Amino acid sequence: MFFHIIGVEADIFKANKELAERNRMLFKKHNVKTIDVMGAIGSGKTALIETMSHLLKKRGIRVGAITGDVAGDDDAKRLESIGVPVENINTGKECHLDAHLIHHAIEHFDLDAIDVLFIENVGNLVCPADFQLGTDIRCVVVSVTEGDDMVRKHPVIFGTSDVAVVNKIDLADAMGVDLKRIEEDFRKIKPNGILIETSVKTGEGIEKLMDAMGL
Amino acid sequence: MHEFSTAQGIVETAIHYAKKNKAKKVKKVFLEIGELTFLNVEQLKFSYDILSKDTILDNSELVVEVKSATYKCMKCGASGKLGKIENEDHFSIPVFHCPKCGGEIEILSGRQCFIKNMEIEV
Repeated sequence: MFFHIIGVEADIFKANKELAERNRMLFKKHNVKTIDVMGAIGSGKTALIETMSHLLKKRGIRVGAITGDVAGDDDAKRLESIGVPVENINTGKECHLDAHLIHHAIEHFDLDAIDVLFIENVGNLVCPADFQLGTDIRCVVVSVTEGDDMVRKHPVIFGTSDVAVVNKIDLADAMGVDLKRIEEDFRKIKPNGILIETSVKTGEGIEKLMDAMGL
Repeated sequence: MHEFSTAQGIVETAIHYAKKNKAKKVKKVFLEIGELTFLNVEQLKFSYDILSKDTILDNSELVVEVKSATYKCMKCGASGKLGKIENEDHFSIPVFHCPKCGGEIEILSGRQCFIKNMEIEV
């Protein structure tokens, strides 16, 4: 009996990365701008997409969405009701979307009929971060109702996302949340990063968020 | 909890390489993960043990090495390991700007997860 070491060098995320790259090329070919909206459960991801979709449609920009949830089609129905074409993905047990699921979802999409595609990830601040989908922008959303320590608890997702959003700022006072503290935590890890405070209710910060994402 | 599906990928890959190298048994699988992945090492090992039952990997050990992330500054060109700060609870958290000039950085590594090598019996 003898043991020996073999070199392997096999990337476990390789299949996902390759599919993400294929998605990216496909979006580029059809000239579709894509945004991966990640964030905590109940942080207002769907509401933000709804509000931005309204504004984009007014400007004549055609919007589509893919909604990912463990179960149900509640988010998809909300967006469909405002005239956004939606493909719904139920992940079953998985806590995140991956490039493979997106690859299948866009098979049903007429990419030439849209200019912007929002991909609403499963509500979770951990798992989605490890799986690139092939989007242009990765946006992370938290809201004041989760407390003012979300950035310090999840530094890596904030550090590796392109745009960070603190939503529901209209409730900050009621929640006893100090927005400055969130901003300070964010600046500590990413002094040059983009952090935008929004309220879907009052509309504050929404235009700024769209500018930051180049919409 | 995406450790289970990641462990599934590890087990499938390791079995593939074990067969390719005509292994009779696998003793160790050496995995490298970047510090910017969200993989919990204990959960990964636990999932690996369950998934490797009744396969050629049965009773093998998953050895995990967590590697520091590296960056390159887009302003001053400096590169190296990603900076760290300690928060008030003494947790070390990564910082995403250049520790030399404060400029914007490009992350060069830190999100990898790959099997480096395996110790097998032939």
